[in-house]
Formats: sequence, C-alpha cells, structure tokens
Amino acid sequence: MLASKGSVTDFHQSERQTLYRFLSLYILLTVIIISVFSFIYFGLQKDLMLQDKKQTLQKYSKEFIENLKDLHMNFHKTQIYPRSSKYDTAIFDSEKKLIFSTTKTKLRLDKILYLEDKEIHLVNIPESYYLGAKYIIVKIKDDGLWLVQTKQKIMLFGGMTFLFMLFVGYILLRLFLKPMRDAITLLDEFIKDTTHELNTPVSNIVSNIEMIDKSKLDDSVLKKIQRIDIGAKTVSNIYQDLTYLVLGNEMTSNSEDIDIEQLVIERVEYFTSLAQVKKLKISSKIINNTILYADKFKISKLLDNLLSNAIKYNKVQGEIIVVVNDRRFSVEDSGIGIASDDISQIKQRYKRFNKSSGGFGIGLNIVSRIAKEYNLDIDISSKEGIGTKVSVSW
Amino acid sequence: MVKKIVLTLSLMFCFTQADVYESNCVKCHQGLPVSIDKYFYDYLLIYSGETDMKNAIISYLNYPAYETSVMPDAYLDYFGIKKKTTLSKEKLKEAVDTYWEKYKVFDKLK
Repeated sequence: MLASKGSVTDFHQSERQTLYRFLSLYILLTVIIISVFSFIYFGLQKDLMLQDKKQTLQKYSKEFIENLKDLHMNFHKTQIYPRSSKYDTAIFDSEKKLIFSTTKTKLRLDKILYLEDKEIHLVNIPESYYLGAKYIIVKIKDDGLWLVQTKQKIMLFGGMTFLFMLFVGYILLRLFLKPMRDAITLLDEFIKDTTHELNTPVSNIVSNIEMIDKSKLDDSVLKKIQRIDIGAKTVSNIYQDLTYLVLGNEMTSNSEDIDIEQLVIERVEYFTSLAQVKKLKISSKIINNTILYADKFKISKLLDNLLSNAIKYNKVQGEIIVVVNDRRFSVEDSGIGIASDDISQIKQRYKRFNKSSGGFGIGLNIVSRIAKEYNLDIDISSKEGIGTKVSVSW
Repeated sequence: MVKKIVLTLSLMFCFTQADVYESNCVKCHQGLPVSIDKYFYDYLLIYSGETDMKNAIISYLNYPAYETSVMPDAYLDYFGIKKKTTLSKEKLKEAVDTYWEKYKVFDKLK
C-alpha cells in the first residue's frame, strides 16, 4: 500500500499481509470503541429524554390520583374509571395484580421510568391506595424526535471519528514502517548501484571471451578460458536477475510471439558450460513446439532462473531435462529437492532453503513475478533427495 | 323426588354460607351510622391487596385495638372498639371471604 507500483521499494507478500492485519485490527478496534461510546451516548440521551418527560408524567400522575381519589370516595355511586386523551393509565394492587388498565399492552413494575414499545412509562406509588391501587402506571407516546436526533449525531460524530482514527492509523503505520522501508530502500539502492557498476565490465568480459578463437588455444589455456566464461556467465546472470528485480517495475515490455523450442535450445546451449562444472547431463525434449506471446527478455529470464536453479541444486553427474509441449514447458532436475512444507514459501524474495549453494534467493521470486505478469501457471513438484520439476503453462 | 332433595339441600347450604356474613357482620353493622362497605374501602386504602386486607380484618376482629383500627379517631372515640369476635376461625374466614367478594374492586370498574 505504501510502496507505489512504480517505486523501487516493494514489500513482500508477508509484509503486506502484516499491514492488512494491522489495519484490520486497528479498524476493528476503532469500530468497537466508537460503538461503545455510541452506546453510552445513546443511553445518556435516552435517560435525558426520560428525565425530561418525567415532569409531564408526574403532572399527569397527580391529576389521575386526584380523579382516582374522587372515584374511591364515590364508588357506591359510580364505577367509571377516570380516563384522559393525553395519557393511558393502569392500576395494580400490592400483589401486583392488575385492577384496571386503559391499555392492552404488557406493563412492567420493576422499573420506575422506562421506554418500551415507543411509549414512556412512569410507575408511581400513591400515599393512599385508592381503590386498592398501590402501583399506578401512567404512560404517554414517545414522539421519537430524540431518537432521530441521537441517531443523526451518532452517525455524524461516529463517521468523523472513524475518518480521523483512520487518518491517525495511516500516520502511525507510516511511522512504524519507516525503519522497514528504509532498510528495503537501502538494499534496493545498493543493488541498483552495484549492478550499474557491474554492467560494463561484465559485458566486456563476456563479449571478449566469445571473440576468442578457441581452436588456437592449447588445452591448459582453454580450460582456464572456459572457467572464466562460466564465471562471467554466472556474474552476467546475477546481474540480469538483480536488474530485473530492481528495475522490473520500470522496464517496458516488448511482447512478441516467442518460439519456445528455439528459446529452450538457445538457453540450454548457454548453460551447457555451467552444467559441465557439475558434470550434469542437460537435454531438451521437444514433444510439440509452442508459441508464447510475451516479452522475450523476461521469458528468457524466467527460463534462465529455472535452469540456473536446476544446475545449482543438482547433484554431481545429475541430469536436467527440459520438456516443451503444447502451451507448456518444464525443467526437471535430479537434485536435492524441496521439502513439501517449504514449496508454498519458495517464491518469496530472499527465501533460501539451501544455504550451501550460494545465491540471493531471488530466482523463483523473479520466476513468480514474470509468471504473474503474463498469467502463466507455475507448478512445482518436488521430492527431497530425488529432484524437482517446475512446469510453466499458459 | 331426589332432584327436589338436592335442590333444597343446595339452597340451604347457600343460605347457611351467606348467613355467616349476614347474620354476624351485617346484622351488627346495621345499627351503626356508617354502612359496612365504607369500612371495606378504608381497609383497601391501607392494605391494597386481598391477602393483606383479609389478614388485617381477621386480625382486628380477633384482637380489636385502637392501634390496629382503620377508622378515624373521632369515630373510635364516639363508638369505641368492638368486642372480640366469637366466631370460629373457619366461620370468620368464610365471613371475610364473603365480604371481599361482595365489595372487591376487581371487575367492577368500567
């Protein structure tokens, strides 16, 4: 999130996951805090409204008790219960048995002042129990105005607080991630500077070795030249990997139809001298030729990394088979293999499971990035001690 | 014939039941200037519920006293305290139950 697409600095998948987890947790906590405060505010507003209405209810209650008193005095003459258009009432005896009610709704006596079913209730106990009425309930309708206003305020202030907390979270995230970003930037800058300085001498070495007429050299010198050739190609590969890694996002793609058979033959030939160091048998098997529309440099880089890994992690006198078939190619080696638990993590940048063979742990990360760019499927199957097969299909 | 006997016995039973209240309570109160229902509403004003009120009446009839009477002081000064009831526990309960049923507020309000 903080590293833009075009930026040199790029976060790992795991780091992004950490960022998303932090953000999710932060947002969840913010929502919980806002909800708790909203709940408390709502409760306070409700109490405030009830206290405001209490005076009115007490006035009505007093009026009703006077009417009830009159009825009590004249009960032998009339039994008509006092009613009002402004409020409803109900009377209960000391055993909480309903004596009479002007409403059919269920009433509670466990609270003095409460809001239920959009009606405000006041439970009053008169000084004398006229007609046996120990508990008198007076209720009026709630206009709901306070509820609308409270909801509006909660939405407004809750929303503003949420946005503010989101902004604070963003600032905090930037502050907490600064050391990590600086470290990655420093590493990227170092690689960028180093690769830039390596470019010219490595190109000179490779091109000059190619220009040497090897037929005129004796065996001793030829062997030395071959070693220099292998060394120069290894450095050249590392240089290209690092260049792609650092400038990958800034590199423009020149897509074209790539003849995979031809590409495989070229790259196998290029890596033959490297494979000879470990006395590896490297062969290509073309079942059906196939075409891939992509940037040739990048697909070449993908294949180079697969071949380079197959050489690097192979046994002495091992075997490498490159197979080309319809819309797929694969590189299979007879190397050390990868533990099944590690296969899911192997595409991560700087991840290495065998530190005895050198390298930066960027090979399969590059493969993964290129595959992602061209929607290629990478399938890695491996058995420890037997070998690894990496298939690329599209 | 059997029907006539049953009917006669039922009517006699009803009259006997009513008699406990009528012959022991109403008869005595008829001579007073305050009708018997007024006492009921004075008790209601203080005791509210059926159980409390019945217990209070029974208690007063068994042990009449100035302190436990619900009537005003002027009334008590003029008429005095009634004599202790001679009714048995069961008869007294019957009489008070009849009194409650006759004057209770439940189902009378409109």
